[in-house]
Amino acid sequence: MDTFDVIIIGSGAGGAPIARQLALAGKSVLVLDKGPLLRTQAEHPLGVSDFKRDELFATGAEKRLTLTGIANQNEAFYSSHVEPDLNDEPHIYEGADGLDRATIEGYTAQLVGGGTQLYGAVSLRFSDLDFRLASFNSNRGDLVNDPNNDVKRYARDWPISYADLEPYYSEAERLIGINGTRANQGKAFSIDNYQTPYPPNPISAYVEVGMDALGMPRYRTPLAVITQDHAPSGRVMPPGSEPAKTAYVNRYGDPLGLKSNTWVALLRPLMALPNFTLRANCVVTHLEASGDKISKLVYRDAAGRAIEVAGTLVVVACSAIESVRLLKLSAERDPAFGARIDGNNLLGRYFLTHCFGGAEAIMPGRFDKSVSLDSDWATDACASADFIQANGVWAGGAIYNNTSDQALPISLARTHGSQDLDTIWKSFIDDTGLTGDALNSFFDDNFGTRLSVSFIANQVPLPTNRIELHPTIRDKWGRRVAHIRKIWHSHDIHLMNVFAEQCRRVLAFGGDGGVGNYQVNEFGAIYSAENARARIANHILGGARFGTDPADSVLDPNCRAWNFDNLFVTDGSFMPTAGGANPTLTIQANALRVADHLLTRL
Amino acid sequence: MAVEILTVDDTYQFGLVAKYLARDDRSPRHDYGQLTGDPRAAILEAWRFPWVDAWFDPDDTAQRFNAVTFVHAADNGQPGASVQIIGSFGELHTPISLVPLADTHYSTLTLKIPKGEVHVYRMRIDGVWQIDPINPQRVALDNGAIWSRMFTWGATQRLSLERWEARLLERLASHILPFQTTDGKTFFSRVHNAQGPANRPPHAYRLDETIGAVNFIDKLLAREEAHHLIDYRICLELIDQLLRARNPVTEPARLPREMIIELYTQMGSGNVPGWNYGRYGNPRYFLQLLRRHTLTGAFSHPRYGGNAMALGWKYLEERYRDATGATLFDWARAIEPPLGRSPAYRG
Repeated sequence: MDTFDVIIIGSGAGGAPIARQLALAGKSVLVLDKGPLLRTQAEHPLGVSDFKRDELFATGAEKRLTLTGIANQNEAFYSSHVEPDLNDEPHIYEGADGLDRATIEGYTAQLVGGGTQLYGAVSLRFSDLDFRLASFNSNRGDLVNDPNNDVKRYARDWPISYADLEPYYSEAERLIGINGTRANQGKAFSIDNYQTPYPPNPISAYVEVGMDALGMPRYRTPLAVITQDHAPSGRVMPPGSEPAKTAYVNRYGDPLGLKSNTWVALLRPLMALPNFTLRANCVVTHLEASGDKISKLVYRDAAGRAIEVAGTLVVVACSAIESVRLLKLSAERDPAFGARIDGNNLLGRYFLTHCFGGAEAIMPGRFDKSVSLDSDWATDACASADFIQANGVWAGGAIYNNTSDQALPISLARTHGSQDLDTIWKSFIDDTGLTGDALNSFFDDNFGTRLSVSFIANQVPLPTNRIELHPTIRDKWGRRVAHIRKIWHSHDIHLMNVFAEQCRRVLAFGGDGGVGNYQVNEFGAIYSAENARARIANHILGGARFGTDPADSVLDPNCRAWNFDNLFVTDGSFMPTAGGANPTLTIQANALRVADHLLTRL
Repeated sequence: MAVEILTVDDTYQFGLVAKYLARDDRSPRHDYGQLTGDPRAAILEAWRFPWVDAWFDPDDTAQRFNAVTFVHAADNGQPGASVQIIGSFGELHTPISLVPLADTHYSTLTLKIPKGEVHVYRMRIDGVWQIDPINPQRVALDNGAIWSRMFTWGATQRLSLERWEARLLERLASHILPFQTTDGKTFFSRVHNAQGPANRPPHAYRLDETIGAVNFIDKLLAREEAHHLIDYRICLELIDQLLRARNPVTEPARLPREMIIELYTQMGSGNVPGWNYGRYGNPRYFLQLLRRHTLTGAFSHPRYGGNAMALGWKYLEERYRDATGATLFDWARAIEPPLGRSPAYRG
């Protein structure tokens, strides 16, 4: 059995930063990832990348659900080339009607780099308040639609503060390679490590006008895409003007390696180290323990063979749903393991995603949205204590515009009227009148004219929002799959309405030069979607929250499982609250923080 | 001429096999009607095999070749199988051996095969000639023998549809796309005249109709969405019968636009007078399918067999311009040469 100083399960935002720090410190590190290592064209034996600028890579051919016992059996689904197949490894969620359905929502991506390969790369910090929402709300009586005081009951302060994490945010921004601007952000920065952003897409001028008219301080959305040579990862800009600016960003892997996924930014530079080992295509089936030590991991390799490995320390970072599932599967095999990991019955509970939604409108004029990154402008205006209190909400959030969405003809059609992965193509397919002249008019009206503004905000944590093992449905290895059971709290709905209105106002004021009367008909949030309970935005958080009280949390402040000496969990599942921004940068910063702790253990 | 064997590494090949082939469960999870009773139904996306990928040759500005990787996975899960292949891409009397992938039960072989081609091949596995146990595509040769089939990017040879089906489908698809409109006809007339005879697209693409969308559908039904071939088989026959009944004089593929649009309106409503509901209960469903496929074919990357010469993209490029005449859909900027003009991206 091979042994290592540390074994890290998952090579995305929660795992790769730890691998980097420990490998560079000379520790023997093994990273296991369920998916393949897909490479940029610079490092590929065929001279081309495994990723393509090809709309059918982001959303492929139709497949159909064959699982038994689900309400959407035989329905169509469409996934990217690196998302898991729903018949092989589904996520099952419980719908409002009590029936189970398989969903593509809630997967990040299964490949080396994880979700950072496909995401839109928005890399915001959380606000200072996001770390102390229990304290902030402890004396408030003005929260709307929280009749049972659930916020006071279930919100928890993080065991670390913004100030504790700030140096790691700065370091993550340096190591990952992020462009953006610091001025006007509502967060304290010790150092500005951003690269210079590209000029914004001209359509984003409407957002500038709208935010300015509303007095919302704006800044260039930090995006994990390099615009200049990046020394920490050794990346050099290829020829061409603004080569990263294409519509093939969000939901695409980058063939040029300019999107700062954790493979190109953190792991690829380690490959020459003799003490660093990456094993792709290896799915960990379970952990085994001896007392308070994880004694070994068992994984299936690319040929399906069961392999055992052992590590002095073990880090689980395979995205919140799958991490909780792996720990529950391990507990299912060994009651003693179960007693240690879930003795307080909290594993899987307080599962979180984000309140999200926004506004969208057809703006005056037409723009080439295919020459853009995913977002241009962001504001923290709705993250301030004043805003939060004035609107009777418990927490704030970020607002930013999306630039690259619907920038290509097929993506415009397949996301027409449906913006989540379960209902992609559905509205276009149902709109059978869109043929010939009507299709021309559809393109005339919508191609290069649509602008959206989105919000990401905190969801109220609830113990009943949880990840379990499904009683009957199993994956291709015979393991029980994840069962997602969650609802939206009544206060979430109020909060989403407040934020959607802010997004609407940005476009309403932006569209008519600051008067505020521009017609914006599409605004709202995910709670009203047909599959609202499944909607996750691929922000998969909570389920193994950290804290200072072993009776009230799954992990200690260093993300160590309370009753194991050598087991750490560092993907988004550690979060007790979801933060008012996209979570990836915070997962990366926290992983760097945990890495410092792990170095004291080796 | 001997086909060239390309050198790739284990990392690449493991990426092609693990997700799709490695599993304990052998139940037919991936049968949507296209693989009923076939053990391939246990394989995820069996249609991906053999893998057809780009291959970059710095000395070939036309980039005329694909890298095609054949894979065998031994049933017993043990290494040591002897696997050879012969095919129309090489010398039929000279088998080429697949090479064991590390210490696994997989064997692989990557060949350099020209784009735009259709080939048949067989494998000799531990001394027994047979079709590829993974790839579902197969074809009966004139002598009745069954061979496996594969095709490279941009192939235009008809594989799924009969000639009359393709002709009718051209007519149907042409009225889904925006090119049979006044604006569309103007665009195509200009493209056609501007390019001169030497640069016109191959005959398979009828410019003023579907820019290869029917070819795209033909290939889609041969691979990724083979489960929908039955929908086309039945519905094209029903539509042919129905249109002949409505107009006994004119071939369905030559009927006036108004009749096709009327048919679409009826199909969209689900109420089609004369439709044989006993054979296919939901004409609206077929229209939905046809629209998704046609639009995808017209605007996806030309490697899939539609969007011939990127004309779908060029239509939008020309249609949407700013006051200075600059395009508002500069698709070529991001796309590889020779189709596009990205100085960095190779496709």
